[in-house]
Formats: sequence, C-alpha cells, structure tokens
Amino acid sequence: MTGHVSGRLAAVLAVGLVGVLLLAGCGSPGEPPNLAPQVTAQRPMPANAEVNPEIESIGAVSDDCGNPTASLRPKGLATPRGSTMAKIKKRGILRVGVDQNTFLFGFRNPTTGDLEGFDIALAREIAKALFGDPNRVRFKAITSQQRIDVLRNGTVDIVVRTMTINCERRELIEFSSVYFVAGQRVLVTKRSGYTGLADLAGKKVCATTGSTSLSNIAAAPSRPVPVAVDNWSDCLVLLQQGQVEAVSTDDTILAGMAQQDPTTHVVGPKFTSEPYGVGIPKENTDMVRYVNAVLRKFRENTWQAVYDRWIEPALGPGSPPKPTYK
Amino acid sequence: MRDTADRARYQTVPQQPDDARSLLAALLALPGRGLRSVIRSAAMTPGRLTVIAVGLIVLTALAALTASFAVRDRSDTLTDLTERREPLAAAAQQVYRALSDADATAASAFLATGEEPEELRQRYENDIAMAGSSLSKAASDPAATPRMTAQIDVISQQLPVYTGLVETARTNNRQGFPVGASYLREASALMRTVILPAAEALYRIDTERVAEQQDDAGGFPVVAMLFVIALLAALIATQLHLKRLTNRVLNVGLVMATLAIGVGVLWSVAALTVQSVYIGNGKDDGTEQVDLLVQARIAALKSRADETLTLVARGDGGAYEEEFVRLSGRMAGDDGGGGWLADVAADATDGTPLASEVALAQESAEKWLRAHAKVRELDNAGDYAEAVQLAIDVGKPDGAAVAFVALDDHLRAAIEEARQAFHDDTTAASQVLTLLAPGWIVLGIIAALGIGAGIRERLREYQ
Repeated sequence: MTGHVSGRLAAVLAVGLVGVLLLAGCGSPGEPPNLAPQVTAQRPMPANAEVNPEIESIGAVSDDCGNPTASLRPKGLATPRGSTMAKIKKRGILRVGVDQNTFLFGFRNPTTGDLEGFDIALAREIAKALFGDPNRVRFKAITSQQRIDVLRNGTVDIVVRTMTINCERRELIEFSSVYFVAGQRVLVTKRSGYTGLADLAGKKVCATTGSTSLSNIAAAPSRPVPVAVDNWSDCLVLLQQGQVEAVSTDDTILAGMAQQDPTTHVVGPKFTSEPYGVGIPKENTDMVRYVNAVLRKFRENTWQAVYDRWIEPALGPGSPPKPTYK
Repeated sequence: MRDTADRARYQTVPQQPDDARSLLAALLALPGRGLRSVIRSAAMTPGRLTVIAVGLIVLTALAALTASFAVRDRSDTLTDLTERREPLAAAAQQVYRALSDADATAASAFLATGEEPEELRQRYENDIAMAGSSLSKAASDPAATPRMTAQIDVISQQLPVYTGLVETARTNNRQGFPVGASYLREASALMRTVILPAAEALYRIDTERVAEQQDDAGGFPVVAMLFVIALLAALIATQLHLKRLTNRVLNVGLVMATLAIGVGVLWSVAALTVQSVYIGNGKDDGTEQVDLLVQARIAALKSRADETLTLVARGDGGAYEEEFVRLSGRMAGDDGGGGWLADVAADATDGTPLASEVALAQESAEKWLRAHAKVRELDNAGDYAEAVQLAIDVGKPDGAAVAFVALDDHLRAAIEEARQAFHDDTTAASQVLTLLAPGWIVLGIIAALGIGAGIRERLREYQ
C-alpha cells in the first residue's frame, strides 16, 4: 500500500518536473538590453547652407541691354566740388565692399590680419588715386548676395568682389569697365575622376547664394543639384567633408581653392565668360567715369604685376582685358 | 466568572472530525468562529476593554510609523537635493558655460594675428576638458528622464565633431588659407544651433527638477497627520468612556499616551514650520538666485562670442551685433544697471558676499558695455586693427577682454555664493528633522505602553 502510494507520487512529481522544464524551454529568455544603440553621424553644415534652393534669377537674365560690359567713358581724375568723389574725400575714407574668404582675390592673411588679393589691390589703387594713400580704405566683408544691397543702401561706395557684369544687375547698379575676365569651370577631387559638369548629373554642386554660378549650375543640362552657401570657402569646406561632389564657379576662385587643397583640381572647359567690373551705385555716374579713369592707368601700369603676384602661379600668364565704352 | 462560562461554551463545540472533508470545513470555519467569539466577548465590558486596548495599540503603531517614515522621507529628499539633484544641475550649468566659453574663445583666438595667443589656447582647451568631464557627471544621473538623455546624446555626439572642426580651422589658418575661417564659422554654427540649445535644455530640465524636489520636501504629510488625529480622537474617546464607566477622572496610562502623542504633534509642527522656512530661504537666496546668475553668465558668454564673431565676420556680422545688443540688454540692461543682474541685486541681502559680488559684476558689465561701444565705433570708422586690439587684448585695462573676464569671474563667484546659501539652508532644514524620525518611534512606544498599562489597570478591577 505504502509502496504503491509513493510510486504514484514519484510519477506525479516526474510529470510535473518535465512540464516545468518544457514551459521554461518554450518561453524566450529575451535579449540583453542594448545600451549603445547604432547611430549614424550627423554632419555639420556651414551656417545658412541650403541644398537645392529656390533660384529666382533662373531664366530671368535679360539679354536686351546690348553689350552689358560697355561702361561710361573715363573723364580724367579730377574731383570737382559736389561730386561723389569730393564727398568721399571729405569723409576721408573710401568704403569698399570686398570678399575676405576668396583666396587670391580677397582674403585675410592670418599672419598679418590684413586683407590681400587681386580685388584688394585694385581697391587700394582707387584709394591711392583719391587720397594719395592706398591705406585710406575701410573694407567691409560682404557675402555674394549682399553685393547689390550694400550699393543700393549706401553702406559702401564701391564693391570690388569678383562681380560679374550682366544685364540683370545693370538694371540695379552701375559697373566700371571690365578689369578681369574669368570663366566658370568645375573643381572636383582628383580621385573622383569627374571631368566636367556633364558628369555630375544628380550630384550636389556648390556655389554661393545669389551668384550667377549657382544659376548656371541649376540650368546645366545634366541637372546637378545646386547647394547654396554664404562664402566660397564654405564650398571648399563642403567638398573636403564629402558633402558635395564639386564646386562650380569662376576659374579664378576655383584656382584659389585648389591651392588650399592639393587633392582637388579644376576640370572641364570654361563654359561661361565672366567679365568682372567694379560695382557702383546707379546714380553715381561721375564715380563710374572716375573709376574707369583709374582702371585705364591700372591696366597700363600695375595690372600685370598684380596678376603675376596672385593669379599667374595658379592659372598661367594673362593680360588685361580691353575695355569697351558706350 | 464570565471567562470560564465562555470557555465552557467553546468546549461544547464538536472537535473530532469524521473524515478529511469535515477537517477542512472546520479549518475554514475557524476565522469566522474566532471573529464571532470576539464580537460576543466585546459585548461584555472586560472583552470590550481588551479590544479597545488592541485597537489603540495598533493605531498607535500605525501613526508613529507613518509619521516616522514621512519625516525620514522628507529628510532623504532634502539630502538627495543637496547631495545629488542640485550638484547635477550645477554640472549641467558647467557644461553649458564651458561650451559657450569655448565658442567665444575660439573666435577670439582666431582674431589674433600671427601666432595664436597662448592664454586663449589654454582657456579653450580647459573649456573643452571641463565640458567633457561635467558632461559625464551630468550623464551619471540614474533618474535621468528620456528627454535629458536625448540632450546628453546630442552633446556627446557633436562635441567631438565641433573640436575637429576647430582644429581643422587652426591648421588651415596656420598655413594662411582662408578656408580656415569657413571651418571656424561652421564649428560656431554647429555649437550655436545644435550643441548649446541641447546644453541649455539639459540645464533647464535639471533646474526644474531641483525646484520640484524643493516643493516635494515642503509638502504636507497628509496620511501621517490623519493617523495621528484619529489616534488622538480615539484616546480622548476612550478616556471619556472609561470615566463614564468607572467615575474616575484620570487614567494615568492613557493620559501618558495622550501626552506622548501631543508632544509628537507639537514637535512635528514646530520642526516642519522651521524646515519649510529654511527650504524657502534656500530657494529665494539660493537656487532662484543661482538660476538668474547662470542666465546672466550664459548671456554674457554668448554676447562675448557675438562681439568677437562680429569682428571675425568683418562687416558681415550685423546679425551677431544684433544678438549682442539683445542678450547684453537682458543680462545687464543698456548700462550695466538693469536686466537679470539688477534682479539678483534687488533680492540679495545687503552686506552678504553675494551682494558684493553682484555689485562688482554690475560694475564690470558697465565697463564692458562701454568698451564694446568703443570697439563698434572704431570698427565702423574703419579702424579694424585698433578695434580688434581693444576687443581681445588682455593687456588693455579699459579693453573689452579685461572687463569681460572680470565680469565672468564675479558671476562665477556670485553663483558659488548663492549655491552655498542654498546648501546651508537646505542642510539646516534637513538637520531640523534629524531627531524627529526616531523621536516618533520612541513616543509611539511610550504611548503603547501607557495604553497597555492603563487598560490593564481597569481590567484588573474585574478579576
């Protein structure tokens, strides 16, 4: 009797034990908690950078102003009373809108703190003509899209900032005669193997906000994706960080970037002609003639020396462009 | 007499079960039967007295324990406040400050021509080191909410990116490449649009939690109070009942119990009042002042970065200057005599170290705002080199750099003073409660003994 009972008890216990084991096996033990989840890096962007911005001027470039580079004929270096030049002389300083981030044209030398480059040399030449002192200049660093505004609201007297003369801008401001002719090309990394804008279909290409280069990128038949930034150097930052595939603008500016980064080079043909002029408020026609007189002397005397100092090492020999007048 | 009658009645109940089923039924019936017998005996005076004694002792135990736990809990909350919560908020504040200062200093160092000034480089490096170690402290909060963790995540992920950008800027700058300035602007944009907002949010959350915990520690212990009131009412009712029953006015045991609980109530009311005054002081003279001072300090740091970035941007810095005017106005008004600093000065007690530090800070702010006006004047007149000198040269006694460093030092000292005031007051609040928690246990035991003795004295009269 006792043996029988204990046998049944043992059987019941065995069945129970197997059941418990089965239950434990069926329930998943779960996964270890993961305190270090996978994250991907968030890349920083320059302030105000914008991918695929709205470009207002696209298609709006009016070609009905004849030859936009035709400027007012120079009338000598006299500064008659009541003229714009006389006002500037009375103030004692020439206010110039320039770039401080474009190597070779307008940039700040970190060792001396001074601004240097082709555009800066030209601005100093104009100050020298007015005051006999090339240092009587107050440089105001401006972004590409500020160039027309600072002239129209009178913040500066002139803008010398790799500014292309075209009909659209001519409706808002005046230009001096041409002092430099650049052409738009493309800067890419050497490893990428790109040979021009045609290879960059659907790729991000950088230029400054409000520049003609940006409109040209957006209008290119290969349809690259334009990326707009405040300063040309910001484009080089983005190219170095791999956030854009290329930078496209005037060869002069690109040459300056290629000199700062030996792993990049300028490729493709010049597909635009960019005549640079000094920007002047529309009403100051006397100043236009005055600057053109300064430029006439500049082309004859100092242009070559300034070119050879800044541009020749990057782009090879060059000569001053011929001015055209109305 | 009656007890033996009861016992006799129990024995008449059949106790021998026939089989297992009837045993189980008897077991189940036991509690009901017990309850019935208690009710029956409670109907008679000696039984009722026993029930009253047991009820009073149980109620005493409940009241004393909940009161003791409530006090212990408040004491713990206060200790947590001074030992963990407030130091965490201070660490978050350090993260915020160090990062803003790093941004301002990197821009200053960039303005200097030629070789980077050693003291600026060192200040930047110290800021980054401080930010890193304060961040790990701020992140060590086991009670961090998901929102706090998210902010810490952002800072931890982006801070190395920021320092990388600053170093790239330096390298390019040393080679004379203007792309260096673009890297610095990108770094500053990252700091201002991503990292600093996260640091600010973290600081805000931490500060709010300090305020919440202060309110918690000053709250009213409702449950414990209800038990104590119920106990007092029961004690008084019992004494009235016994008086009617025996015509004796005093029952020494019950009076002792009532007195013990009364002492506990008076002690608690006094201690809680003093404690909440201390907590209030710690808030008014401590954490609220710290918060205003921290906001003033951060505004000063951001303004300083604006001042230097205006010069770095060289004409393209209108937005920075606008922000300077806005932030410095909120910090100290137009002339150093308004803004958050004036608020702190108005609330600070005259003659305290805090008041004197704030006064010195206001003085430095006024000097700085004057120097800043001069810097803008020079820069706008085209005297760029002179403007930069006045802005960053630590050797110029009337320059912006000297005035700013003095302002920052005084604000740091003022924050330390206000933190000390908080710590002193909150520690004092906690000390007021130190003896009260064990005190309630002792008083509870005295009351229970009193009840036991008092009731037993009456029971003895029936035997």
